[in-house]
Amino acid sequence: MIPLSLLIMSLLLSCGGGILCLLLKRREGDIRLGGSGVGIAAALAGLGAGLTAIGAGQPAVLDAAGPYPFAHFVLRLDPLAGLMIAVISLLSLVAWIYGFAYVREYAGRGVGAMGFFMNAFIASMMLVVAADNAFWFLIFFEMMSLASYFLVIFDQDDEAVGAGFLYFLVAHGGSVLIMAAFFLMANQAGGFDFAAFRAHPLPAPLDSVAFLLAFIGFGAKAGMIPLHIWLPRAHPAAPSHASALMSGVMIKIGVFGIVKVGIDLLAASAGPAMLGWGLLVLAFGAVSSVLGVVYALAEHDIKKLLAYHSVENIGIILLGVGTGMIGMALHQPVLAVLGLMAGLYHLLNHAVFKGLLFLGAGSVIFRMHSKDMEEMGGLARNMPWTALSFLVGALAISAIPPLNGFVSEWYTYQALFAAALDGTPLVAFAAPIAAVLLALTGALAVMCFVKAYGIMFAGAPRSHHAEEAREAPAAMVAGMAVLAVACVALGLLAPLVAPVMGRIAAATIGAAPVTLAVGATLLPGDAQQATLSTPLIAILLIAMAFLPIGLKAAFAAKRGGDRKAAAPWAAGYLPDHHMPATAGSFAQPIRMFFAPLYTLRRAIAGRWTGITLGFERVVTLARRTEPLADRSVIAPIVGVVDAGGKRLQAIQGGDFRIYCLYIVAALIALLALAV
Amino acid sequence: MLTFSHFILGLFQALLLLAAAPLVSGLSRMVRAKLHTRHGPGLLQDYRDIAKLLTRQDLTPPNSGFAFRLMPAVMLTTVLVIAMGIPMLTRFTPVAPIGDLITVIYLFALARFFFSLSGIDSGSSFSGIGGSRELTMGVLVEPVMLLSLFVAALLAGSTNLGAIGTAIADGHVRSATATVIAALSFAYAIYIELGKLPYDMAEAEQELQEGPLTEYSGPSLALIKWAMALKQTVVVAWFVGVFLPFGSAPEMSFFGLLFGLVAFAIKLVLIFAAVGVVENSVARVRFRLTPQHSWIGVGAASLAFVFYLVGL
Repeated sequence: MIPLSLLIMSLLLSCGGGILCLLLKRREGDIRLGGSGVGIAAALAGLGAGLTAIGAGQPAVLDAAGPYPFAHFVLRLDPLAGLMIAVISLLSLVAWIYGFAYVREYAGRGVGAMGFFMNAFIASMMLVVAADNAFWFLIFFEMMSLASYFLVIFDQDDEAVGAGFLYFLVAHGGSVLIMAAFFLMANQAGGFDFAAFRAHPLPAPLDSVAFLLAFIGFGAKAGMIPLHIWLPRAHPAAPSHASALMSGVMIKIGVFGIVKVGIDLLAASAGPAMLGWGLLVLAFGAVSSVLGVVYALAEHDIKKLLAYHSVENIGIILLGVGTGMIGMALHQPVLAVLGLMAGLYHLLNHAVFKGLLFLGAGSVIFRMHSKDMEEMGGLARNMPWTALSFLVGALAISAIPPLNGFVSEWYTYQALFAAALDGTPLVAFAAPIAAVLLALTGALAVMCFVKAYGIMFAGAPRSHHAEEAREAPAAMVAGMAVLAVACVALGLLAPLVAPVMGRIAAATIGAAPVTLAVGATLLPGDAQQATLSTPLIAILLIAMAFLPIGLKAAFAAKRGGDRKAAAPWAAGYLPDHHMPATAGSFAQPIRMFFAPLYTLRRAIAGRWTGITLGFERVVTLARRTEPLADRSVIAPIVGVVDAGGKRLQAIQGGDFRIYCLYIVAALIALLALAV
Repeated sequence: MLTFSHFILGLFQALLLLAAAPLVSGLSRMVRAKLHTRHGPGLLQDYRDIAKLLTRQDLTPPNSGFAFRLMPAVMLTTVLVIAMGIPMLTRFTPVAPIGDLITVIYLFALARFFFSLSGIDSGSSFSGIGGSRELTMGVLVEPVMLLSLFVAALLAGSTNLGAIGTAIADGHVRSATATVIAALSFAYAIYIELGKLPYDMAEAEQELQEGPLTEYSGPSLALIKWAMALKQTVVVAWFVGVFLPFGSAPEMSFFGLLFGLVAFAIKLVLIFAAVGVVENSVARVRFRLTPQHSWIGVGAASLAFVFYLVGL
């Protein structure tokens, strides 16, 4: 019961924090201090809840009657929910530390309201993953969408409001589909409890319908292509610590939903159909990962670039989840655990490094007051800690060994390899293709993050602001440092983390655990297939580095002192600041080689613009019809009431004695009626 | 499992390759000179170059940062670590946890990351474009590498490079045609990775693709030159270890290793001589036409995959 009580404590703290932020109103210094303090406490309690839930053998269940007779309020903390709560808590912990300094950027623009929505957002995310009843799940899902909507439109400019509207539309379209999927299952189960869903499997064609509905609904939330269009607009519009939460955690709720429905709720009913679901998830994952990073490469706005990378990483997570589902369908528990484990590990890793990168971008924007990378440059000199953290995040998201991103991608490759080796012909055909697309994604991600880091932090400053920038405040650096250390730790300590992820995956699937690590060596269930040791790679990299450094030092006495003077070579011309590579020129070859994919993006965006325009037309029509209703219905009623009131004024003489008389008269009349 | 003697073997072969790398690049220069009917430098010229550069002053552009300073060391270190994991003298990988095909591809990405980043960090326009092109080549080549190695790995049932090599040497592969085509497409990808004509000229610093070298001087340039020579040797050793493991030692024994060393040296010399002939008989391909060429690699690797699926 420890996990549940810690969770409830965390939720109560979040509620308290939210109310506190509203009550303090204009005292913004107190809001920052109090809000962050309570938020950090809530996050720590949540972290405890998540970790104990992962460690506990049995899921902890809280079943309360609640106000509605048809839906019990059920919270269930199984290892999967525990993982999600731990990830949410870790990111919210960092967001609160970071926010303490960062919200000064929003001074005088409703810091209290921001604190309230942040608290509501975090609490509702925790409730979504813990809820074990479809009705309450949907309620909290809506709460989460609403709270994040208010964070998206916080800036109140046209861009933010437009992005918010699109986000609102997609989020609610998605929840309608999820609702439909749940209703199908509830119809069969005769109740809204997830336990009943599990006990009463859907018959054959209906289960695929339910899965498809839920997949599209949750996929829209996760931002997979082609339902991603809201993501690169909404995430950058929110304040950076909220973007870190949205990109790091909220879109993972979409993945969580797909896992919940496909692997947990519908597992019993899924027969041969599950193979098709797994392949579908795999296909969407592969397409999302490649297109996400291709589109990211063309961006100049650092937050948009990062948002597109979220699309990419959701794709990579879906590759793992899809392989897990294929493993379940083929009754190969090792493959199922390996695939799902790879997906969940990448989910955790992406939360950490994407949170880090958004916070790093936030720190730069905090000093630069611009999101345009072309105006940055050379920031590593003045913002060394931010630069170092961002570099760690960039290396991690590019899956560079021995950091965390590499470990989960390695497991994804191994899962795909195992699937290709033992699968049916269709799987043997699909899995290697997915692996190649993952390799393409990896190479493009390296390019994209060399560009992002290089254009922002390396070389010469491109603007006056970049020259004058100072290091971010201590609280913001501390927030980033926590996540940078987590990136390194989740990579180097992979032999400890991977078995935990494997246990979570095995518990979710209901299979026996798989050996994923022996000593400091990682292996995908079978040491013959492959081995990896991130600690060893790290030690060797450090040890081998002494060779070049020593070589350089050995000859130091023989040569003149190092000099930092010569201007870069510019083919004989005088170098000027227009010459170095820009964000645009750096990615230009890729834009040229992948031109058809960019045309595709315009096509998808055009379709969405069409839908949005349609909605806007409806809104305009509603605006035009509203006054009509006003004139014909509301206005006459108001007129009649008004006139009646005027007439009644006559009996208001203003004399105290007349009023007494009225009372006596009323009493007599009532008595007469009673008799 | 990784034992102490395996580890020492890995360290030995990495240092051996480091010592021999300038010799290999010297060989390339000699072959070129012969084919150009020039007198050319001696076989040991690259050792002399490196020794001279190590005693020269290190000049850095005023706007460069720590990425620029770190790059030579990072690159040499990474390639050395990769060299420990690739089977060269033996069939098995000396340090098995590194000798995984995915790990090796991504370790090369680490070197590529810093190599290109230093290009932007130098503040020079040439270097920046060079970095961009280097990464673009990575994008075009890495999928080909992965698919051809993946097919070979599927045939062997393991992604460990030594296991793939052993399976090929023993003839335990289900489809010989698929193996041969995979070897050809991997060789093609490796050739692009070598940075030779028609796609690149590793020695010519004024070529855009090696742009990141433009701003380096003194000991930093010496380290990069050495690292690039080592990288070329390691990349070829990678191909040899997986697809041409013949002659290497199946077990750890002194004479086995000695024989493996001789066989490895002969294979290396033959391949670099062949590469020398190819690179000197073609003209430079325009950069924007490179994808049309790399599609050949993708096509060949896909063909190998199809043959694997059919099981021919």
